[in-house]
Amino acid sequence: MKKVLVFLVVILLILSFSTSCKKKVKEVPPPPPAPQAVEQPKVEKVEEPVVKEPVLSEEEIFLKKSLEEINQTKPLAMIFFDYDKYNIREDAVPVLEANASWLKKFPTTKVLIEGHCDERGTEEYNLALGEKRAKSTMDYLVSLGIPAERIRIISYGKSQPLDPGHDEAAWAKNRRAQFLIIEK
Amino acid sequence: MKLKIILGLIICGLIFFGTFLFSQQEVVLTIREGVPAISLALPPFIHESSSSSAKQAAETIHQVLMDDLRYSRVFQLVPKEHLNYIRPLDPKQIFFKDWESIQTRILVVGEISLSQNKVVFEVKVYDVKSERMILGKRYQVEPDLFRLVAHRVADELMKLYGEKPFFTTKIVFVSNRDGNDELYMMDYDGANQTRLTFNKWRDYMPAWSPDQRAIVFTSYRAGNPDLYILYPYEGKLVPVSTKGTNFSGAFSPDGKKLAFCSSRDGNSEIYVANADGSNVRRITFNSAIDTAPSWSPTGREIAFTSDRTGTPQIYLMDAEGGNVRKVSFGGDYLDSPVWSPDGERIVFVSRVNNFFDLYILNLKTNKITKLTETNARNESPSWSPDGRHLVFSSNMSGTIQIYSIDYDGSNLRCLTSQGENKLPNWTN
Repeated sequence: MKKVLVFLVVILLILSFSTSCKKKVKEVPPPPPAPQAVEQPKVEKVEEPVVKEPVLSEEEIFLKKSLEEINQTKPLAMIFFDYDKYNIREDAVPVLEANASWLKKFPTTKVLIEGHCDERGTEEYNLALGEKRAKSTMDYLVSLGIPAERIRIISYGKSQPLDPGHDEAAWAKNRRAQFLIIEK
Repeated sequence: MKLKIILGLIICGLIFFGTFLFSQQEVVLTIREGVPAISLALPPFIHESSSSSAKQAAETIHQVLMDDLRYSRVFQLVPKEHLNYIRPLDPKQIFFKDWESIQTRILVVGEISLSQNKVVFEVKVYDVKSERMILGKRYQVEPDLFRLVAHRVADELMKLYGEKPFFTTKIVFVSNRDGNDELYMMDYDGANQTRLTFNKWRDYMPAWSPDQRAIVFTSYRAGNPDLYILYPYEGKLVPVSTKGTNFSGAFSPDGKKLAFCSSRDGNSEIYVANADGSNVRRITFNSAIDTAPSWSPTGREIAFTSDRTGTPQIYLMDAEGGNVRKVSFGGDYLDSPVWSPDGERIVFVSRVNNFFDLYILNLKTNKITKLTETNARNESPSWSPDGRHLVFSSNMSGTIQIYSIDYDGSNLRCLTSQGENKLPNWTN
C-alpha cells in the first residue's frame, strides 16, 4: 500500500515537473508590449439640448410677420368691375366672402381698399369712379360683418394700372378694387 | 395833336365797348370772328453795332414776337417778300405810304442797342394810315429773358386792340419726367418748362387762380388725395380739404371763390369755399357722381359732370347749387366741361367708340361742333385767356403729351416731349 502511495506521489511530481518545464521553454521569447490603446481619453461629443419651439398658432405666425411680409402673400384677393360700373359683380361675392372671413380671423387688422379704373375715362370722372368702387367694396365687407372702423378707402383713378396694355384684357384687369393691410 | 386825341378817344371807346360786351357775354365771339385779322408788318429788328450779342438779341426777340403774333389770330403778318417791293426801313424817316402800299395797317419797328454791355430793346408801333406812333417801349433785358420781352410786346399789342393779353401767362400741368407725377409750368408756347413740386407722391389736377399767383391741386403727399393751394412765388402750401377724395379744384373768375369736388360727406359732391379754403359749403346733393366744376365767366353759374341719369353728362347750375339743368344730349360719356372766357361756349370731352375727343357746345345756338379728330384719347381741355385757343392732353403720338389747338380746330401743335405730360390748365 505504502509502495502504491509513493508511486503515485512520484508520478504526480514527475507530471508537475514536466508541465513546469514546458512553460519555461515557451516563455523564452517575451511577448511584445501591447499597443497603448487602452490609455486614450474618451472622445466627448459637445452637445447642448436644442430648444424645440412649440407649434405656433396661425395667429402667432401672423403677428410675427411685418406688414410688408403679410401684404406680399396677398391674403385678400382683388375684385374686378364692369366698365363704368361700381356695383359688386357676382363673381366678386365669393372673393369678398373669403376676404371677410380672413378679416374676421385676424380681428386686429385694418385694411385699405384701393379703387382703380381703366384708362378709358377722364381723370376727374375716373377718380370719382375709383372711389365709388372702393366704397361699394367697403360697404359689402361691412354687410358681411366687418366693422367700418377697420376699413379705409382711397381712389387712384386710372393712374396705377395693373396691366399697361391698351386692350380689353388689360382694361378688365385694371378696373379693380385691391386690398392693402395697413395695421395688424 | 387833334388826330392823337381822336385816336385816344377811339381806343377808349373800343375798350369801354369791349368791356361792355364782355359783361353781356353773348355777342363777343360773333363780332370777333367777323373782324378780319389786323395786317401787321414786322421787319427785321435793327441792331446798331456788329456785336454778336446784339445780333442774337435782335434775331431771338424778332422770331419770338413773330411767332406770338402768328399764333394770336388777331394779327396777320405782312409776308416778308412784300418788304422787297418798298424802300428799306429807316427808323429815322419812315415812308408810311410805302407801307400802306403793301397793305400794312400796323408797323412794328424794333431796335437793339448796347449800353454798358447790356442789351437795350426799343420798340415803336405805328399806325400806318395816321402815320402816328401808337406805342413806344424801351426795355433793358438779360439774354435769358429775350423770350419774355417779346411776349411782353405781344401783350402790349393785344391790349392796344382791346384783346385779352396772354403771351406772358403760364400753363400749369402734370409731368412724370422726373419719376412721378409732379406739377410743372411752362410758357404758352411750351418754352421754359419749370418744375413746381418736389416729392415722391402724386401731385395732380392743378388749376390756376385768375391772377396766376395760386394753384389749387390734388396731392397724395399725406397718404390721401387731399386738396391744397400752392403759392409758387411765395413758396407757400395750404391744405384746403383733407377728408375723403378731394379734386377738380377751380377758382372763380374773380378769384374770390374756389369750387372743388370732394367725398368728405361720403359721396362725390361739389363744394364752394372762399379762395383761401375757408367757409366750405356743399352745393350738390345727389347720390350719383358730381364732379368737374367749371365757373361761368360771370361767376354766377357752374358747369359740371354728373352721372345721375346713369352715364356722365354735362349740367349747369347756379353757383349756389340751384336751377340744375342738363345741357348734353346724345352721348353716353361726357365729362370735363370748361366754360369759355366769353361765356358763350363750353368745351367738353366725349367718348365715342373708345375714342375721346373734344367738342364745343355753343350755348346760344345749342350746336355742338367736334374740335379734335385723332382716333386717340384727347382730354383735359383748358381755354386760353382770350378764348381763341385751347390746350389739352392727348396720346395721339403714343405717349401722353400736351397740345395746343385753336377754337376752330386749326393750328394743332405739341408743347411737350419729356416723359408723359397731362392735365394742362391755362385759365379757369
